Formats: sequence, structure tokens, C-alpha cells
Amino acid sequence: MVDRRRFIEISGASLTAAFLSACDSMGPAGAKKFLAYAEKKNEGVERFLLRHTSMDHARKSAKIAGRAFPSYFISDTMPMWDTATDGEWTLQVDGAVKKPVRLTLDQLAALPRRSQVVNHYCVEGWNAVAKWTGTRMSDLARLVQPTSDAQYVDFASFDSDYHESWDMESALHPQTLIAYAMDGRWLGVNHGAPARLHSPVKLGYKNTKYLVRITFMSERNGGYWSDRGYEWFAGT
Amino acid sequence: MPTTQTAPATHGGKRHHWIVRVTHWVNVVALTLMVATGLRIFNAYPAFARKGERFCCYPFEGREIPSALTFGGWLAGARNWHFAVMWMLVINACVYLGFIYLHGEWRDLVPRRGDLRDSWEMLKFYAFARKDHPIQGKHNALQKGAYFAMPIVGLIAVLTGLAIWKPVELSLLTNLFGGYVWARYWHFLAMLALVVLTVVHVFMVFAVDPYSLRSMITGGYNESKSPEHRNARPLWWKKAGVGLKVDGLSPNPTPRTPDRNG
Repeated sequence: MVDRRRFIEISGASLTAAFLSACDSMGPAGAKKFLAYAEKKNEGVERFLLRHTSMDHARKSAKIAGRAFPSYFISDTMPMWDTATDGEWTLQVDGAVKKPVRLTLDQLAALPRRSQVVNHYCVEGWNAVAKWTGTRMSDLARLVQPTSDAQYVDFASFDSDYHESWDMESALHPQTLIAYAMDGRWLGVNHGAPARLHSPVKLGYKNTKYLVRITFMSERNGGYWSDRGYEWFAGT
Repeated sequence: MPTTQTAPATHGGKRHHWIVRVTHWVNVVALTLMVATGLRIFNAYPAFARKGERFCCYPFEGREIPSALTFGGWLAGARNWHFAVMWMLVINACVYLGFIYLHGEWRDLVPRRGDLRDSWEMLKFYAFARKDHPIQGKHNALQKGAYFAMPIVGLIAVLTGLAIWKPVELSLLTNLFGGYVWARYWHFLAMLALVVLTVVHVFMVFAVDPYSLRSMITGGYNESKSPEHRNARPLWWKKAGVGLKVDGLSPNPTPRTPDRNG
């Protein structure tokens, strides 16, 4: 006979067992729908909160990370643009735009320049302060004139197939830079030379390094980490 | 004697209204998931220092939490759970707080003048420095303190969580907590406080008032088995019901008890 007390004991024990066996696993497969739904809703909240007037400022007491600024890449070896074999590096800006361009580093550096001391927020939980110098993405957009159906922007690299796509609003945030200098020097190879995307309004992994191509799009096309389970929007 | 007793809230003889019981167990699930996924997220960077700096106030910088205490499998998995279950926790808390506000149960939990003295008397009783269990209402003064603190610490956990989720868009909030690094630290400490409150709570349920477990499941509670009646200290009490009628047919409590909630 299973009376009420016994039933509660059994339910309690099996719930506990389920919890224990779930530890450090990824959870039941059926939960995927629930998690995907929550991510969609969270994106709505994040888009609602996004303001072009909300700015990141490194705290006065914060030190520039300098050499302590972590870096990584996904290729087997550190990606380096070799002009001898790859030709001159250029940044291609195309897609849903009226005036696609292909910029050399000199041309990019000749565009309106902007420097900012801001945080870099890594998905892992750390933050690091650096001074970034580059061109505002919004200035670049003014140059190429996105068409009205451009809702997303993809930032692709020459670090294997690494890329991440952004919502237009975050891409045009005034603190979103195509950076070619860090802490007052040309970008180092470990930090994405010759140019990279950097913005405090997105988590680190959205900020494509080793940039070669910016594509305005009407549909989003995911991204390296976004396709591997990390949230696509990843705003701060 | 407590002089500020209000009319007892009764729900058809139940000690806890079904909304309180349901939100309690939803909270158990949500809080467990939030803590376990939070610890997995923490393990991706088990430290607080901004890169290139040192952090003053955490002695275990760089040391991971044992993975058996974590949930989510990897950073992205844990984050997806954390950012989904957070809504479950917040909605559940709103239902609970809204209910106890509208239904009057908050009166059993808000601190009143004399609670500090009563808490001291409870501690004296637990330390065998006092013979008789202090007179109490639905909860003793220490319980009241713990149950009142829980939503407040929970609120701090939610606010610090928002501060590190949106350090740019909600920078006012983040700055209020001393910036991203400190907000993350307060979030961790709030979690720790919730865990400590919970562990003590669960220990006390089994060590002092195991009969109350039923009251949080079916709602039923036998006042004659209350810790006050059994003069129960943690792990130190005689089995209830000896010489008394049991279950359901609760005898009149001794006169010194304000009779509450059947």
C-alpha cells in the first residue's frame, strides 16, 4: 500500500535523485524549448533596455589592464595577416548598403577617429579596461548608407570561420568602434590586428577580432559562439 | 507576553495557505537551480579582480567551486538556465509577496518592537540558559527574523544580478553597488546569505519541528506538537503526543499559548 506519507517520501526521494543525477549535466533535453523561449523573451527585454545614450565609463580607480588583457583565437595558430601571401589587408563593407566600400588600413584610419577608455565585459565574468581607438561603426554606416531593410550586421574575421552578427541598434551605438589601436598603440596580433570590432555594449565574444568583412543584412546569421549555445544578443 | 498579536489568519484550519505552500516549493526548485547554475557560471572566472588588478576581499580567488555543486554542464548551458529560471524566481516571489501582503500573512513576519529581546530569549533557551520555551505567535522571533530577511536578501540578489547582467544599460544600478566588480561580489555574497539561511532553516525544521514539514505540504499542523508545546530545542526534545491525543483532534493548548491557526 502506498499511503500519502509513503507517496510523499517516494516523491521526495526520486526528486532528490533526479536533482543529484542532474548535477553538472546540461539538464533534460525537453528543457531546451523552455530555455530557447526564455532567451527570446530576454532578447526582447535587452532590446527594450538598449539606449544609444547609455554609455560605459571605466571607473576612475580602474587600472588599464595592459598585458593582463586576455586574448584568444579559434585557429590552431595565432591568425596573422601576411601581406606577402594574402596581399594588402582590406576591410570590405557590403551587403544591404547603397555604397559598398573596401577600405585599406590607411583609409580606415583616415576616417573620423575616436578614443575611449571602457570596460570589456567577458562572458566568463571578468572585465578589463583598455583605451580603444578607431572609427565609430555609426560613421562607417554613414559612409556606406545601409538600405531600409538592413536590420542586422555581420562581422567576419580571417580567424578561421569566426564571425558574429549584431542587431543594427547595438552596431550603431556611439561606443561601438572598428578599433585599430589599443592603449595608444597599433593593435597587437593577439588582440585582432589589423582591426577588430570593440564595444562595451556587447559581451566580449560578440566583438569579432581579425576583422575582414562587415555585411549589412535583413536577416541575422548567428555567429561562432551564438551557434554553439551562447546567447545571440549578449548585450550589456 | 507579546502584546501585539493580531487576529490569527486561518485558512480552513490550514497552517499555510496553498499559495504559500506552492510558492515555497517552487522557490526550492528555482533557488536550487539559480545557485547551482550561478556557481557554474562563477567557475568560468572564479575570482573577482578586474584584469590587471587584485581584489581585496575574497580569499579563494582562482579556486573553482566543486563541480558536483554546479548545474548546467558548461558556461553557456548554465547561463541559459540562469537567465530563464531567474524569471521563475522573480514571478514566484511576486506571487508570494503579493499574496502575503493582500492576505495579511505579512503580519506574522514583519519585525515588531520586542523581537530583539524575544530573539535573545530564544537563544538563551536553545543554550539551556532558560528553562521554558518563550511564548510565541505563529513563529518564534528567530524564525520571524529569518523569514523576513529571506525576501530582502533575495531582493538584493535580484538587484545585484540585474547590475551585472546590464552594467551599461543599467549603469546607475551597477554604480550604486560600487561598479561591476563589486556588484558581482555582492551578488555572490547575497547568494551565500540565501544558502546559509536555507541550510539553517532546513536543519531547524528537522532538528526542532519536523511536524511542520507536513504543514508546508498538506497545510495540516498539530499545535500540540509545536516546539513551544514540546519545549523543543535543536535535537533536544521528547517525542510529541505522549499522553496527548494526536493528529487532527488537537487538545486545547495549555493556557499560556495564544492559540493560532489550529
